[in-house]
Amino acid sequence: MTVFAQQDNKAPTKRSAARPGRGGYWWYLVPGAILFVAVIGGPLIYNTFLSLTKWSGVGSPRFIGFGNYVRLFHDSVFWTSFKNSIAMIIAMVIIPTLIGLLLASVLFDYLGKRFGSSGISVLRAVFYLPQVLPVVVAGIVWGWILRPDGAFNAFLDAIGLSGFTKDWLGNPNTALPAVMLVMVWVQIGYPVVIFMSALGRVDPEIYEAAEIDGAGYWARFRAITLPQIRPETFVVALTCTIAALKVFGPIYALTRGGPENATNVPSYFAYYTFFKKLDVGYGAAIATVLTIIIVLVAVGIMQWQAASERKELSGS
Amino acid sequence: MFRRRYRAAKVATAAAFVAVSLTLAACSGSSDVSSASGSAGGATGGSADASSENGTLKLWHYEGENSAMAIAWNKAIDIFKNEHPNVTVDFERKAFEQIQQNAGMILSSDEGPDVMEYNKGNATAGLLASQGLLTDLTEQAQSRGWADELSPSLQTTARYDEHGVMGSGNWYGVPNYGEYVMVYYNKDAFTANGIKVPTTLPEFTAAMDTFVAAGTTPVCMAGAEYPAGQLWYQLALTQADRSFVDDYQLYKNPVDFQNGPTAKGAEVFGEWVQKGYISAESASLKAEDMGTAFIGGKCPIMVSGSWWFGRLQDEIKTFDWGTFLFPGSKLSLGSSGNIWVVPQASENKELAYDFIDITMRPEVQNLLGNSGGIPIAADPSAITDPKTAELIKNFNTIAQSDGLAFYPDWPVPGFYDVLVAAFQSSINQSKSPSEVMDQIAGPYEEGVATIQAG
Amino acid sequence: MSVPVLTTADTPERSAGQRLADERAVKARDRLHRGAGRWVVLAIITFGALLMLIPFGMMLLNAFKSPADYSVNGPLSWPTEFYTNGLVNYWNASDYPLKLWNSTVIAGTVAVLAVAISLLNAYAIGVGRVKGRLWIVALFLLGNMIPQEALVYPLYFFAKQTGLYNTKLVVIIIFVVIQSAFGTYLLASVLGTFPKALLEAAALDGANRWQILWKVVFPIVRPTLSVLLIFFFIWTWNEFFIPLVMLIDNDTQTIPVALASLQGDRLMDAPTTNAGALISLIPAVIFFLIFQRTLTRGVTAGAIK
Repeated sequence: MTVFAQQDNKAPTKRSAARPGRGGYWWYLVPGAILFVAVIGGPLIYNTFLSLTKWSGVGSPRFIGFGNYVRLFHDSVFWTSFKNSIAMIIAMVIIPTLIGLLLASVLFDYLGKRFGSSGISVLRAVFYLPQVLPVVVAGIVWGWILRPDGAFNAFLDAIGLSGFTKDWLGNPNTALPAVMLVMVWVQIGYPVVIFMSALGRVDPEIYEAAEIDGAGYWARFRAITLPQIRPETFVVALTCTIAALKVFGPIYALTRGGPENATNVPSYFAYYTFFKKLDVGYGAAIATVLTIIIVLVAVGIMQWQAASERKELSGS
Repeated sequence: MFRRRYRAAKVATAAAFVAVSLTLAACSGSSDVSSASGSAGGATGGSADASSENGTLKLWHYEGENSAMAIAWNKAIDIFKNEHPNVTVDFERKAFEQIQQNAGMILSSDEGPDVMEYNKGNATAGLLASQGLLTDLTEQAQSRGWADELSPSLQTTARYDEHGVMGSGNWYGVPNYGEYVMVYYNKDAFTANGIKVPTTLPEFTAAMDTFVAAGTTPVCMAGAEYPAGQLWYQLALTQADRSFVDDYQLYKNPVDFQNGPTAKGAEVFGEWVQKGYISAESASLKAEDMGTAFIGGKCPIMVSGSWWFGRLQDEIKTFDWGTFLFPGSKLSLGSSGNIWVVPQASENKELAYDFIDITMRPEVQNLLGNSGGIPIAADPSAITDPKTAELIKNFNTIAQSDGLAFYPDWPVPGFYDVLVAAFQSSINQSKSPSEVMDQIAGPYEEGVATIQAG
Repeated sequence: MSVPVLTTADTPERSAGQRLADERAVKARDRLHRGAGRWVVLAIITFGALLMLIPFGMMLLNAFKSPADYSVNGPLSWPTEFYTNGLVNYWNASDYPLKLWNSTVIAGTVAVLAVAISLLNAYAIGVGRVKGRLWIVALFLLGNMIPQEALVYPLYFFAKQTGLYNTKLVVIIIFVVIQSAFGTYLLASVLGTFPKALLEAAALDGANRWQILWKVVFPIVRPTLSVLLIFFFIWTWNEFFIPLVMLIDNDTQTIPVALASLQGDRLMDAPTTNAGALISLIPAVIFFLIFQRTLTRGVTAGAIK
């Protein structure tokens, strides 16, 4: 995964006539570029324009300059929603990546070798299944589980922990952790699938050599597995972080941002402003700020990735 | 070797699949265009000679399959087909969410219908009317007699002024049915606890005390959706008169949320939570949960709307139940039902008017009543089921005494979520009644200012 | 997810070492297949998997319940009878097979096209190493970073202007861009480590860039492309928001939009929603199961041969 690091130094000095140089490769970017401008670039510019207006979605927008941004700066709901985003990052990036890594390793390295691959495939499919479920239905079903008279409280009663039963989604203190739990359930499958795929390309000979040398499971995991699958780790970290900052569906299905903004996230706040409050200009401002933040975080992660690759190339 | 050929075959299949599906997808696009132009060609004449008209009537609504409205409207479609044999009726049942969210976009394009059901109120029909997306139906309402069949209080939600505020101005929609909020109660539970149907608020409170003493939470509630806000509004209405409704809904005068009916309603709501009439754990429950709790006999009282009636009739088999108007109040939540609108972009307006006319006819209205809905122009003697007859009678009582007070989330776009958030705080007892009123006053005042400015 | 082509260089020397490895493997297999430890771990993992399945169990429990039964007895109870009327009515009323077809066409086309676009982009970035590629990747990735609400109004205008509003084609175009953002990023990283030796060899044989792409690069990254194909299909299958905005006529709609029609303004039909969702799960799961064989291969040593 060395897109960003300077691997060009290793290019052969001999330039044969059959390799015409780099100019012609630009043509391959043309289809992607056209689609990008039409679907992303243009709309992004238009959205930024809308953020400078006041508009209800019908009729003509009215230009108001930076008014929306000033209002945003003073809006406590907006800041709360970003605080909740941090919780979403924990629930959608950190926990699933850690658990996913462990799970993938156990499934692939430990169980895979001892039980054969078809059973492991079934287990992997089971862990991935929540990703395939439409989010609206996940909301309905988790609603049944987390209701005051739902399955989870019934279970707590059954094992004698009645004192711990709560209105999980209705109490502002427990709503966010409850949503985080649902998000972990939804997200786990994705890192598991990617990491298992990554583990598939680690040369087993390296493991065996280490085993011969007396390295135990954890030592092998730290010294061999982790560095070998570093590229996939970055992919998972980057994509899950973007998804966490952008998360909308489960919040909409479970709590509509409530109770009392305990689970409000920027994307839901933007949606509500766009389509319920019919304050499109303000919604566009929220979306613009959210996009900028996502871009900054993503570029930060990619720089980190590049730095890590540079360190690897310079021999560590 | 075989694998390579197999791979190549997969690639070829994928490519063929893409080519075919792109062609199909593009074709479905062009067929939409051709059907739009096709309907433009028909129905050029007036309604004078219906049988010689050609064309298509594109009709949308979003009422549930088994609802009274859908049943009645299916009949209306049949009648329409009989009277316009050469017209194709293109009926599509839509998702409410899709229409609510995207109506502006749909009606600004030429992919919209000729006649559709739409939600009444300033933030919905009023908004579209003020932007010129709906056809002015005033002339039709006069000449076809719709204006005579609808009482003034029902006409409020059919007419909107140039700012999109209901109550006056041109006709933009036509309702077929009414709806209102009442108290559903479990007759068996009442009898078992020796409670009679309360006629005053103190009697109602005493009844609920009896239930609490017996260990049951009397009122089914849902804090995560509309029921909590509606209960608050009803409690406020027990202290209010018509001028309050005019101020709150039509912005005639500013509303003081800290004094007057609104504040009193919030206080009583808070009391009901403290006394255990409403479960303190209902903050996360959705309306569906509230309804199933009532149907399951878990709570004997549900303060909600006539939209539950049909479903309760179908699903409650284990106990006897009934309804009564909220005691001690001349005003009730309620209004006309959703309205038929004719998009300005429609090219078959005469057909649309004919259809709307058919829905107002006695046979359709009576069918609506007999299927569990509340018709606005039915013959009371034609309603066969006693429970439904009572439902309709109660509605007429309120409507005729100008007691319909509409709904608390109507005044300002997005107010629904504000109310939900505020009353979740009340149920969780994390905010005092005056804090709750503060919480809703801000968005209300901002929203009204925006509407009145432009 | 880069190609470990380094191992190919070891090929001639492996025969001796391979024999040794075989011996070790035999011993290792015995060691691996003995012992109770593995059963304990298997049990723990299986238990975890069953926990993951609880919500699906609840779906199953309620998908074939009559509405009255659901209302009276609640979602946690066993159905009193096996009720299929709700599903049958819904199937007919919403023309569910047509919705399945629409969803399949859209998700399938998006998956294939997005993979193709990703490959073209990644070829230029990873193999061609065009100038400013970090920023180009970041720019493409923007497609994944923008919240969909921000795109809806502009895309609506774009669709209306081009006459594509209310067609499947516009939904396909939009999702090709959104999904290929991720694909470009991933593939560009993979192709960044593509063995120069192979490219040089092909160039020396007189192949131009296009031929190199399809004859040399494509076969080797096929496993990564399969992974992308699966993800893109599943991600597009469940998309709700943009189809809700763009697909107005009932005959263009996809399953998530069709399921939304069971949720009214104030009432909803939970059992039928569950049944409908259960059915919509099946094609996505089948797709996953068919293609997941390629996930195990990932990018394995020896694929070059």
